[in-house]
Amino acid sequence: MASVHESLYFNPMMTNGVVHANVFGIKDWVTPYKMALLVLLSELGRAGAQLGLLERRRLNRLLLPLLQGPDMSLSRLRKAIEESCPNLASSVHIRIKLMAEGELKDMEQFFDDLSDSFTGTEPEVHKTSVVGLFLRHMILAYNKLSFSQVYKLYTALQQYFQNDEKKNGIDETDMELTNTDELEGKMEKEELDIPLREEEISCGGPLSQKQAEYFLSQQASLLKNDETKALTPAALQKELNNLLKFNPDFAEAHYLSYLNSLRVQDVFSSTHSLLHYFDRLILTGAESKSNGDEGYGRSLRYAALNLAALHCRFGHYQQAELALQEAIRIAQESNDHVCLQHCLSWLYILEQQSSDSCVLLEHSVKKAVHFGLPYLASLGIQSLVQQRAFAGKTANKLMDALKDSDLLHWKHSLSELIDISIAQKTAIWRLYGRSTMALQQAQTLLSMNSLESVNVGVQQNNTESFAVVLCHLAELHAEQGYFAAASEILKHLKERFPPNSQHSQLWMLFDQKIQFDRAMNDGRYHIADSLVAGITALNSIEGVYRKAIVLKAQNQMSEAHKLLQKLLTHCQKIKNTEMVISVLLSTAELYWRSSCHTIALPVLLQALALSREYSLQYLASETVLNLAFSQLILGIPEQALNILHMAIEPILAHGAVLDKGCAMFLVAKCQVASATSYTPQKKAEALESAILNLNEAKVYFVKVDCREQLRDVLYFQARLFHTLGRMQERNKCAMLFRQLHQELPAHGVPLINAFK
Amino acid sequence: MAAAAAGPGGGSDFSDLREIKKQLLSVAERSRERGLQHSGKWASELAFALEPLPLGDLPPPPPLTEEDARDLDAYTLAKSYFDLKEYDRAAYFLRGCKSQKAYFLYMYSRYLSGEKKKDDETVDSLGPLEKGQVKNEALRELRVELSKKHKARELDGFGLYLYGVVLRKLDLVKEAIDVFVEAAHVLPLHWGAWLELCNLITDKEMLKFLSLPDTWMKEFFLAHIYTELQLIEEALQKYQSLIDAGFSKSTYIISQIAVAYHNIRDIDKALSIFNELRKQDPYRIENMDTFSNLLYVRSMKPELSYLAHNLCEIDKYRVETCCVIGNYYSLRSQHEKAALYFQRALKLNPRYLGAWTLMGHEYMEMKNTSAAIQAYRHAIEVNKRDYRAWYGLGQTYEILKMPFYCLYYYRRAHQLRPNDSRMLVALGECYEKLNQLVEAKKCYWRAYAVGDVEKMALVKLAKLHEQLNESEQAAQCYIKYIQDIYSCGEIVEHLEVSTAFRYLAQYYFKCKLWDEASACAQKCCAFNDTREEGKALLRQILQLRNQGENSSTEISASFFLPASLSANNTPTRRVSPLNLSSVTP
Repeated sequence: MASVHESLYFNPMMTNGVVHANVFGIKDWVTPYKMALLVLLSELGRAGAQLGLLERRRLNRLLLPLLQGPDMSLSRLRKAIEESCPNLASSVHIRIKLMAEGELKDMEQFFDDLSDSFTGTEPEVHKTSVVGLFLRHMILAYNKLSFSQVYKLYTALQQYFQNDEKKNGIDETDMELTNTDELEGKMEKEELDIPLREEEISCGGPLSQKQAEYFLSQQASLLKNDETKALTPAALQKELNNLLKFNPDFAEAHYLSYLNSLRVQDVFSSTHSLLHYFDRLILTGAESKSNGDEGYGRSLRYAALNLAALHCRFGHYQQAELALQEAIRIAQESNDHVCLQHCLSWLYILEQQSSDSCVLLEHSVKKAVHFGLPYLASLGIQSLVQQRAFAGKTANKLMDALKDSDLLHWKHSLSELIDISIAQKTAIWRLYGRSTMALQQAQTLLSMNSLESVNVGVQQNNTESFAVVLCHLAELHAEQGYFAAASEILKHLKERFPPNSQHSQLWMLFDQKIQFDRAMNDGRYHIADSLVAGITALNSIEGVYRKAIVLKAQNQMSEAHKLLQKLLTHCQKIKNTEMVISVLLSTAELYWRSSCHTIALPVLLQALALSREYSLQYLASETVLNLAFSQLILGIPEQALNILHMAIEPILAHGAVLDKGCAMFLVAKCQVASATSYTPQKKAEALESAILNLNEAKVYFVKVDCREQLRDVLYFQARLFHTLGRMQERNKCAMLFRQLHQELPAHGVPLINAFK
Repeated sequence: MAAAAAGPGGGSDFSDLREIKKQLLSVAERSRERGLQHSGKWASELAFALEPLPLGDLPPPPPLTEEDARDLDAYTLAKSYFDLKEYDRAAYFLRGCKSQKAYFLYMYSRYLSGEKKKDDETVDSLGPLEKGQVKNEALRELRVELSKKHKARELDGFGLYLYGVVLRKLDLVKEAIDVFVEAAHVLPLHWGAWLELCNLITDKEMLKFLSLPDTWMKEFFLAHIYTELQLIEEALQKYQSLIDAGFSKSTYIISQIAVAYHNIRDIDKALSIFNELRKQDPYRIENMDTFSNLLYVRSMKPELSYLAHNLCEIDKYRVETCCVIGNYYSLRSQHEKAALYFQRALKLNPRYLGAWTLMGHEYMEMKNTSAAIQAYRHAIEVNKRDYRAWYGLGQTYEILKMPFYCLYYYRRAHQLRPNDSRMLVALGECYEKLNQLVEAKKCYWRAYAVGDVEKMALVKLAKLHEQLNESEQAAQCYIKYIQDIYSCGEIVEHLEVSTAFRYLAQYYFKCKLWDEASACAQKCCAFNDTREEGKALLRQILQLRNQGENSSTEISASFFLPASLSANNTPTRRVSPLNLSSVTP
């Protein structure tokens, strides 16, 4: 009974009711290319001692990739051999020519002679060497061929040879053909040739097993690392359909088609491809393990897990959860801890949508380390760090954790994660307001030689982490007033990540943010307003915030206030502290613009407390500036100067140019205000130093082209010069002020009351 | 009669059966001359169903032209080679022939030679990847030559048909449809062109936009395509009108009707028609696989066994025979052997769709889920619209305890057969397992609304309501269920009837409707598993009645007894459109 059952066991190689010879486990088939290799090997043996040591060495190094690589055309093979030994190349070519232009007998004779190399007291080829194995495989495969197959192989060889010849002399023949055909016939011929030609361009018709595998792995890695270099979605899909038409059993192609559909956000076909892939895989899994059950159940679990991932990518969180539950249940039933770990990581991602899930993540990291899954572990650490950073945990601990995970990465050469980790550090430094550190990290990543490039030769540089780092770099440059450099970076980003690729949304957002900031500096509020829509499309919270800022600048205070209040409650709910503080600052600004400094104070204090708690230093110093300004207006300039000293340092060190200018301007104002009670001598000194500070502020404002602020500075400076009785300088400043004042619209707020 | 001279056409009325018969006979002859056996067979079968003609009315042999005469020798020689399946030889002797008949045979034998070589080649190809590449080399050349002729308008009806076939084989579906339509216009009597058209049309919309010739052949075509597109009602209507028109003896129509009934799962009717068919045409093998499916569903072992032996005697190397034998073994629970026979069927004809699905079912029975999945996947590859395979895949994953995963497959099946309750019930069960009770309720309700085959949807729905403490709805469902069971007429042993009565009894008891409650409780006593409970309930009712004799006099009349079942005052809820497509990919 058992034997009957076994013979009935479904045979994967049986398609359309025809059992294929592959049942016998032969993976190698004699192809014309392989025959060319065999010729090369036999020529090598024949040449023997005549070859120089160097040539021999080069040839030997060439052989392995040739044996293991995909089939290539004869001319390419010839070129490869020529590079190491021109003599041999021509003799190989001649022998193939003789065989192809001769008779079937020649080929048969060739194969008969092949086995001679094993005989003799000192055989040329050792039976168990790489070359020996290849030879024996080929001889065995050849001997298994039936008569008609042998004949087919021979015609294939002839075709292989002739195609090559034709390619060399394509110009002459082409002309002849077109001339002789009559017009109508030509038309039809072209019409018929078109579909074929397209196929040829892409991959030269059907692929061999190895070629197909190579094609798939290449495209998959390109999709992951450098999407622009991969085929376009439509072309790739066509290619895959072609491949599947020729070999429907090639399950991996379905997976690639799934990835490809993800690229274009096609739920329908990506689900279809994914499930198809696993339907196919389930059998191959069973086949690979002799006991059957283990491999089979494994692919089932991962099938459910992948389905969950798919739903998650498309934002179907409820569906994803159901699929994940299923995966978890099956994995638990079969005690598959590794799969469970993956499930746990996904569970974290899903839970992230709803609630705080640090516990899950910590658990996941611990377990992943235990089960020796470095990738999962450090990915967990990174997510944890990200979450902790938002939650305001101390920086040194976070950096420590990142350092630990970096150790893991280098140990296991997880180059992808190294990139991510650096990108994350850049982002964290930016969050903390340490622009120099961020800059340094960004440059580190950009100038680092990726591990991948050493391994495969694929530049791993179009991943998300690079996009993130470049975006940060652009913004950092824009902050320092280097707009040309920033736009240069953005141009580069545009080239690297064309508008409809996966990570293009990142730079689109940053591009618009930078443009918005510039427009605001220039006082061109209508332009800034037009950018708001674009920003909102990419990031709604940011968009609302910017809208409020524009409204504020346009003196529509109550609308701005309403918007900010709404945003504040929302951000508090989703725990976006960074945005909360920014909103608080803007609200405070609204208050003092309406001359309600006393109301602004508690808001500012709240912002200060928050930014201190979450160690967002940059926002803290900005808050201090606002606070100092309020104190100045409330008539305690000495106090204001005191706290300004606290903030001025980090601002000058890490701040944006605009903020530096504002800070210096504010310092000058405070100096002047506090000088009223001084003796004339001391007062003059204070005013002098204030003028110096104003000069510095002027430089900063010029840098970012912030003319409104510049006008105020000039006015203030002119007044100071006037007080000091330095008429010439006063007149100069006054003139400059007048020029600017004519160009710009009048302020809505009295001059002295404005700080920003 | 005299007016309708030679030349096909003549409107879609069937008033002149003699003329139709004349046309059929002549086209059968012409098809045979060109080696188109199947079209010839179809025409002759149909002609056989009509009254025989007197000698004077027999159609004259087609007149010979000058060209025909010139090619006659070559044609005669080549035709005999062709009949012996020596296609290359036939083509060789026909080259250069100009007459339509010889030219067609020339091209057709080249086409067939290519096809034959292709089939031979698939067996011994050089590598696993090469097998997909094997294609009919002749197709491209044939297309070039035929398209030239087509442009010059030199092709007759048969030539157009061949051109269409070549185009279809090259996957140029749109062009192929146009050419087949043209062929049907030029020579409406040629059934082959119509049949090819049937295979290419995938939905009703496509059918609407075709401009088809207005002949009586169109009626046959429409009937056939309605069957293909699962528009069974329309198909049956068409066939009935054809029978009324005088084709009552046609075995073709009878078999088609039987297949149609099979498709709507009207098993009894289909069975009786098939039996009739076998009486008329005892050596028929076509469609017998469908017949065996029916016998299988009804578990009619002796009949199936008789059929299998009979067919085996007629021709054991036919796809249909293998399929019948496979079904027979499957019914006898010898699933290994059944799978073997389905495999054999696939060897005989790799394009035979049903066998893959049936093989999948066998592997399921053998608990070899991975092999089953493969078989179903193959079935889907051959025909994406094979709802049984999608359903089978769903079942497989359900057995593997992956209810969420199998949703996708059931949904696909449901999309293909929106009115089949089995898919809906399966979907509902999955949702129930996933604890998505709202969706599950929708599914069950829909399944009931489209006509539940297994009559389980209502019980399941009722249980869901019960679970959700919606006792009112649960009771309604049970009432409807009991009505359904009893109105069916035949008293089938249904396990859930007792459950329904028990629930109802308790429900009425809670509502203090003593009469109804005691009626239901009495019904309960008729079943083994609820007898004790029924008796206990009856006692309680008696007690409570005696206590509150005077208080419960105003019994609302809106509730009715399930026992008085003729009443059809059940509130019929409108069927709400099924909305499961929240994420249906």
